[in-house]
Amino acid sequence: MRKFNAQEQLGIEAGLLPTEIQRRDFLKLSGLSVAGLLIGIGPAKGATAPEEKPFEPNAFLSIQPDGRIILFSKNPEIGQGIKTSLPQLIAEELEVDWKSVEVRQAPLDNRYGAQFAGGSTGIKTNFVAVRTAGAAAREMLIEAAARRWQISLDQCFARNGFVIRKDTNEQLSYASLATAAAKLNVRENPVLKSRKDFRIIGQSIPGVDNAQIVTGKAEFGLDARPRGMRVAFIERCPVFGGKIKAVDDSAALAIAGVEQVIRIEPTKNPTQLVAGVAVIASNTWAAMKGRKALRIEWDLPAELPESDEALRSRFEKSLESTEVLRDDGNVIDSLAKCKIVHEATFEAPFLAHAPMEPQNYIADVQADKADLWGPTQVPGSVRQRAAEITGLPPNKINVRMTRVGGGFGRRLMADYACEAIYLSKTIGKPVQVVWTREDDLQHDFYRPAGLFKLKAGLDENGQLVSWHLKATTTSRYVFAGSSSPAYQTEVFPDGFPAGFVKNFRMEYAPTSSPVPRGAWRAPGHNITAWVDQCFIDEMAQKAGKDPVDFRLELLGEEDRLMPYSDHGGPVYSTRRLKNVIRLAAEKSNWRQAAPKGIYRGFAAHFMFGAYIAEVVSLSLKEDGTPKVERVVVAADCGLVINKSGALNQLEGGIIDGLSSALRQAIHITKGRVQEQNFDDYPLLRMKDAPPVEIFLVESEEDPEGMGEMTLPPLAAALCNALFAATGKRIRKLPIQSRDRVTT
Amino acid sequence: MATIKLLINQKPFTIDADPRMPLLWALRDVIGLTGTKYGCGVSQCGACTVHLDGNPIRSCSIPVSSVANKNITTIEGLSPDLSHPVQQAWIAEQVPQCGYCQGGQIMTAAALLKRNPNPTDKDIDAAMQGNICRCGTYPRIRKAVKTAAQLAKATTK
Repeated sequence: MRKFNAQEQLGIEAGLLPTEIQRRDFLKLSGLSVAGLLIGIGPAKGATAPEEKPFEPNAFLSIQPDGRIILFSKNPEIGQGIKTSLPQLIAEELEVDWKSVEVRQAPLDNRYGAQFAGGSTGIKTNFVAVRTAGAAAREMLIEAAARRWQISLDQCFARNGFVIRKDTNEQLSYASLATAAAKLNVRENPVLKSRKDFRIIGQSIPGVDNAQIVTGKAEFGLDARPRGMRVAFIERCPVFGGKIKAVDDSAALAIAGVEQVIRIEPTKNPTQLVAGVAVIASNTWAAMKGRKALRIEWDLPAELPESDEALRSRFEKSLESTEVLRDDGNVIDSLAKCKIVHEATFEAPFLAHAPMEPQNYIADVQADKADLWGPTQVPGSVRQRAAEITGLPPNKINVRMTRVGGGFGRRLMADYACEAIYLSKTIGKPVQVVWTREDDLQHDFYRPAGLFKLKAGLDENGQLVSWHLKATTTSRYVFAGSSSPAYQTEVFPDGFPAGFVKNFRMEYAPTSSPVPRGAWRAPGHNITAWVDQCFIDEMAQKAGKDPVDFRLELLGEEDRLMPYSDHGGPVYSTRRLKNVIRLAAEKSNWRQAAPKGIYRGFAAHFMFGAYIAEVVSLSLKEDGTPKVERVVVAADCGLVINKSGALNQLEGGIIDGLSSALRQAIHITKGRVQEQNFDDYPLLRMKDAPPVEIFLVESEEDPEGMGEMTLPPLAAALCNALFAATGKRIRKLPIQSRDRVTT
Repeated sequence: MATIKLLINQKPFTIDADPRMPLLWALRDVIGLTGTKYGCGVSQCGACTVHLDGNPIRSCSIPVSSVANKNITTIEGLSPDLSHPVQQAWIAEQVPQCGYCQGGQIMTAAALLKRNPNPTDKDIDAAMQGNICRCGTYPRIRKAVKTAAQLAKATTK
């Protein structure tokens, strides 16, 4: 039984995970889900005390006979708060006091279904299934109590870890019912609570690991320490696509603590292994020193090395042969007739993810099994890669999830885990692969760079009647060799203002590059919202209209459900979009003139099912650079599970949006990344972090994600505010580019 | 290799290590205190902040031999029982997202409040400037530092 093995190998307390023992040999109780059925048959009274057993009707929870209530969080915790919010869903339906529960990270286990952190989907896709797990347990506990009291199910209810008898107010604790409940058939279709009865969902619940975090005890991947663990640092080819020609490891091997030097040959798929030389040592410092002592000759790719300039010219070339993704009306004819035609070109750079915890992973590959630890957003992919590399069947591969020191999409890639798995298999010992910050910035899967050309026209009434986008990006799906269309997650043919402009054309072409690309917080949207919402602002100005009014006019009086074929669809609601636009305008006093020296910019965006509008207020410093004074956000993300967690995510997106728009860019010269550390890839610091005021729309709609949505509009609101301040449009990011400083 | 005597969280340790090994790795790999984090290795991010005789330093960039016999406090030693006002404030304001940088943030904030019990926004910005939070918890950190100042006053009254 794999699950038992996994528990033991991973040090998880035995008995806390449900076994696969089905209780089918017990009385078959058909029809029990009908409340009111009198239960006349129960365990014989007066028999010898039954052996006490935990109650574990599914993989999500365990009620121990000693009273402990343990809830398992299935998905990786990357800072999005899922380790708190998913257990909230279980606790709500289980009817327990939140203060009484203990939350644990679940390992990778097929019984949980998909386990990953990506696309802001953790709550949205588990909202019903996870509550159902709690509700099934609640109904079984009620049944156990009803049997004990020999009354009907509808004569009792559950509250705060007790089943309560309505007629007498007698109570039975869950602990006292655990053994009996464990013998009942698992409920298949329990009745979920009505939203009006939610007591835990919607509250501000502190992160379950906060006490551990503030005392330094929370375990991140880099902190795991299996016995006998070796540390590996890897010198990778600095030029993308290179190979090893020759290695002189004599100086490295002479360093005390260095044990082995291993060559890593690149896999065909560049998302797995790249060419590198690993130094294996007994401790981190020895491995770092050993790596520096390596002498490596690289076999560089024959083609011309990549550079920003070369990429820029290939972007232009790509736009000569595009695919038309959407073509409403006749944009060419319309533009020829427009009273005002305006065009602009927008450019966005590669971005690194730079999570605070650098990439690292631990693998202990043995002859008959493998144990894996570390920070990942995709434990299932790690297991799959491990099966491929080791030849072990997936059920002999145990994946334990530690806390993850930031994801932002970087850890959707399993490359660093592949390195650990490969090295452990090769040397037959547990190995922790550790990346330096320089490794992290130079060997990322970057946010695709792109070039966007826009042309739009106003008729004689100042109406936007024509919109023509030609876009190219270094498509991440092309890089990964995906079968998905190149444009997907790069541009969005159904995104606003599509559908509101009579003549609308969107064209796209991917541009190839050896620079690795991946998903970066709010993929695609993190550029398109900037481009679209800046250009809408430009058109509003050309029309002589207020930017907020211009957007509302386009959306129209009538509330509509617009077809939306991407993530977050199949439709979006113009009512909800207009609502957040109006709310942000109201809360920022948009209709009143800004105080002297304060300049404001507006942006709004729909993505992943959520509606966001933002107003950036800024002043100019003496040197002309912006100081963001305040950001007002209106957000409609549906039902909120954890208010504090939600606000933290939405605030974080604003800070990240500001951080990236102001100063971040990855530059490529001679086929390699120029940025090395936080001195040349600057992250926003405290003094530049403005107050963020978030207004959540009270919503009865199903919950959407929170982790990505506020980032995309921020750059547009910021650039629009800068236009208000300076009269200059920013059409190339970052705003405070190093290029711009030198030219 | 050299024998080095360390005083960490009031406890003496004798370690055998390369004298140039950064304190960070001595703490994590040799002593086994992993609350102090690696973030950049070049004093840029502050995740590795510890106290040296009460002052915040970046343990990634200081050789272990240079702190021999000096008083080192790590996040694990800030309080024995989660009672330090800064830890309490971090919990009250629900600061962490991923949590990786927060040990360093807390150590920097604790040192600030020790020398300046009533910091202004400017003081806070200046003191916290060396600590990066990639998740963007700065608004809550700023609030928590102020809360910690209040808590510290309340407990010393």
